[in-house]
Formats: sequence, structure tokens, C-alpha cells
Amino acid sequence: MIAIMTFSRYLGIICFLFSFQIQAADAIAGKVRYNQTCINCHGPAGKGASSYPKISGKEVAYTIEKLGIYRSGIEIGPNSALMIMGAKALTDEEIANIAEYLKDAKYDVNSL
Amino acid sequence: MKVFTSFNLLLSFIALLMLLATTSSHAEKGMNVPAIGSMVVMSGLENPWDVAFTPDGSMFYTEKCKGLSIKTSSGSTNALYGMKGSKGYKNAGDDLFCEGQAGMLGVELDPNFEKNRTLYLYSSSTKYHGSGCKTNFERCDGNIVMKFTVSKDLKSVSGRNDIVRDIQYKPFKSNQPFGGPGAHNGGRMRFGPDGYLYVGTGDRHRGVCPQDNSLLCGVVLRIDGNGKGHPENIIKADNRIYTYGHRNVQGLDFRPSDGQVFTAEHGPWHNDEITKLVIGGNGGWDPSEKVAGRGACPDEYCGYEPNQMEGMTPAVRAAYTPMSDTRFSDLMPPAWNNNGYSQGTGSAAFLKGSNWGIYEGRFATGIMGIGFGGTPGGMRIDMVDIAEDGLSVKSVIHMPTGVSKRFRGLRMGPENALFATTDEGEIYKISAQ
Repeated sequence: MIAIMTFSRYLGIICFLFSFQIQAADAIAGKVRYNQTCINCHGPAGKGASSYPKISGKEVAYTIEKLGIYRSGIEIGPNSALMIMGAKALTDEEIANIAEYLKDAKYDVNSL
Repeated sequence: MKVFTSFNLLLSFIALLMLLATTSSHAEKGMNVPAIGSMVVMSGLENPWDVAFTPDGSMFYTEKCKGLSIKTSSGSTNALYGMKGSKGYKNAGDDLFCEGQAGMLGVELDPNFEKNRTLYLYSSSTKYHGSGCKTNFERCDGNIVMKFTVSKDLKSVSGRNDIVRDIQYKPFKSNQPFGGPGAHNGGRMRFGPDGYLYVGTGDRHRGVCPQDNSLLCGVVLRIDGNGKGHPENIIKADNRIYTYGHRNVQGLDFRPSDGQVFTAEHGPWHNDEITKLVIGGNGGWDPSEKVAGRGACPDEYCGYEPNQMEGMTPAVRAAYTPMSDTRFSDLMPPAWNNNGYSQGTGSAAFLKGSNWGIYEGRFATGIMGIGFGGTPGGMRIDMVDIAEDGLSVKSVIHMPTGVSKRFRGLRMGPENALFATTDEGEIYKISAQ
């Protein structure tokens, strides 16, 4: 019985930490970081501009994966050099935050 | 003593009058700093690239991957001429396409539009590829200038005539940072006060292009309404060429005070430039390999070298492949170089009208952003005060538009307002009063 209670306690802690991990991604911080660099090509709220694609509305895992690939120096498309250069400067936390922000980012004329 | 006091009073009165007169004089000569504001006149567009206005204030506009439309002065919108696959247009060109930076770009009206209803349109096209365009290292006639007649009810265009068929196009991906197909097409067109059409083109990522006048790439054309070169053009290899040695001419306008033409160009990781054009002059852009102390470059194009896949100090890169190479004796030196940065200069227009106050006559220059390798981003419009001789600038002031967007196309329009297209999909009207 004590062992079960101890296990439950640890399980609770692990679940708490896991949920914290999920919630740790900060969309507001992601927006701030996005607006420092990414906005110059992809436009406000990840809308896409000129020959640079729309990147909003993607699942968090998708954006994290793609930024991770770029950060490791692997080319994906014709503008990869720009993405590799930009992604190399990002930490894991910043990538998670940007992905969280872009998931629900919506463009309107007044987006900044 | 009484006389002395009266004299003093008189002196004081005169001094007061002089002071008032001086104050009044200062008030009359005070700086006329206008209030500048912006409003959205259209939104939800797809990469609007350029605008042109009829005398009654109707606005033609291009969308890079869709086509040509008009918003009439009464407020209705008519889709006039679409690209291949576009829907909802009255007519379409099955040869017109978009890819990367290429597509339907510039639009311009004939100076006698009210009488002849003539409109000019710049676009990428497959129609004249012929046996070329098989690689990036050969001729590829893939950008054209078309001429149309606009119906009086502004609901259709007809009589397409391709007056320039051989502006170069980049057909394939290359090993460059912005290496996709369709790079560097120029595309801005403006009629000059001489009644001739000036057309900006780009180097299409081919190293030999800007200094090779047998090809229309990295040049500014000066042609008549039928595509023939001005009789006084002096480039013998092709008399349609007015100037050469350019990178990607998207900004083109004429100074109201003297009709002098200036370009605004997007630099290669360094040095956006504004340049006063001189007939037969050389912009000084030469991205070819194995010259000027350079070795081989990726895909024979040194435009982003050295170390093209990494950020580095712009001045170091500028020394390797300069925007304006002083090797050339016919170099047209730039008036402005954006403090050595490239932030994406895309278009420019001289501010006309007394409502612009102290800014009247300045060169409004659209900056699209592009902040890499330590270059600060900067989506804005600069108001550049160009010196009378066109060889330097006196000051640069950021226009307080209240918005930060990728400003792609600028043009003066009705009510002496500046109209700006943005890559985000809007057309802004920027007013001063």
C-alpha cells in the first residue's frame, strides 16, 4: 500500500512536470522573438510575404521539427541558407516559443 | 531729464515694434512640417506589386501571381487580365506565370492615356523561351513588356502586343542564399518627362549579365511605346538600353524639379543604393567570377560572396563584390548606400505637392526588411533628401506612416498622396497635410 502511494506521488510529480513542460512554451515570448528576425521575410503573424511562405497555423511539432532541421544545417528549399542562418541563432526554448506562437497566429492589417 | 525720458520711451517703443516684426517674420518662415497619416485602401490582396492611376483617380494594380485589376474611382473592382490558372479575370494570358520573385510586376499608363487608353504591363512569360532556358547559364527570354488598350468602361483590356520579349529570366534553382528560380527580374516601369518608357530589369542571378549588353538583364531600358529604343540611346550592343550594370531595379522615378531619373536598388547583403542615372552609364554591379581578384563562385555568380551562406560584416563583403565597382570608368556613383546595409530597397517615388511641406521633393524609398547577419531589419519608408547634383544625400528621415510592412511598390497618386503596396497584401494611402 505504501509502495502504491509512493508510486502515485511520483507519478503525480512526473505528470505535473510534464504538463509544465508542455505549458512552458510561451507564445508571447515567441511573438517577441519572431518579430526580431522572422517577420522580416515571413511578414507579421507568419502570414507569408513575397516568395516567403506562410508559416502560421502549423502544428507545434511541425514547426519545431523544421526549425531543428534548419538549425542542423540541412537544406530543405531554395531559401534554406537564410533559414539555416536564422535558425542557428535559436535556442530550444526559443524554437518552442516561436512554434507555440505561430500555431494560432492570425494576421490582420494591424498585426505587429 | 523729461526729454531724455521721452526719448527712452520712444526707443523702447521702436525696439518693441522691431521685436514684434521679427517674431512675426519668424512665424511666417517657420518650418512647414506636415502631419503624415496612412489608411488602408485595399487589403486581402496577394502580393500586390505596383499601382498606376488614371486621371480620374481609378487605380490599376497588379498581384504577382494573379494578374491585373482596377479599383475604379466609384469604388468597384474589375479583374482585367489574369495569369495562367487565375480565376475570375475577364481575360488571361496562358503564357504568364509566377515563380519565386517573378510574376506580374510593373504597370504603367501611357502619358496620353486619356486619348489612347494604352497600358503597359510587365510579367514573366513562357512564350518566347524558344530553344533557350534549358540551363541557368544560357539565354532565357522569360520576362516581357505587354501593351494593351483599356476599354472606356474600365472593364476589360484588349489588343495585347508584346513590345519587349527578351528580358532575361532565371529558370532554375542555383547555389545561392536566395537561390530559387525567378530571382531578380526588376520590373518597375515609369514614363519619363521625355515621353519614353523606362523599364528596370534584374541580373537574374547570372554573373555575366549586368556587364554584358547583348542581354537584357541588369539594365534600364528607355523605349518608346512600341518597344523601340530612344534614338539618342548610346549603348551600341542594344539601343534599347539606357544604363547597365544594375543588380535589380525595382525603384525608378523622375525628380520633379529637373526631370532627372533616379533608381533605388536592393543590395546584396550590403549597400542598398539610390543612383542618379546618366545615359550610357554603368551602375557598377559585376557579380561575374574570375575578375577583380575573385576566383570561381558558386554557379558562376559572386553576388553574395564571400562566405555567402553565413552572416558577415557588410563592408567586408562589399569589398569583395561591390555594388558600385570603382574599376569602371563609366561608373554612376550612388547618392545613398543605406549606411552600408542591405535591408531590401524595393521601390521609390518623389514626393510631389506642397502638402508634403519640408519633405516635398524628397525621394520616398520603400524598405522591405531583410535583417541577417547583424543587419537590423527595417520595414519602413525613408524620405531621402538628394543633393542637387544627385551624387549625395543631405538627410534621411523615416516617414512616420504608423505601420511597419514590406513596402514593395510606391507611387504618387490622387490628392498628392503616396500609395504603397505591401507584400502583406495591402495598398496604403499615405497622406500629408
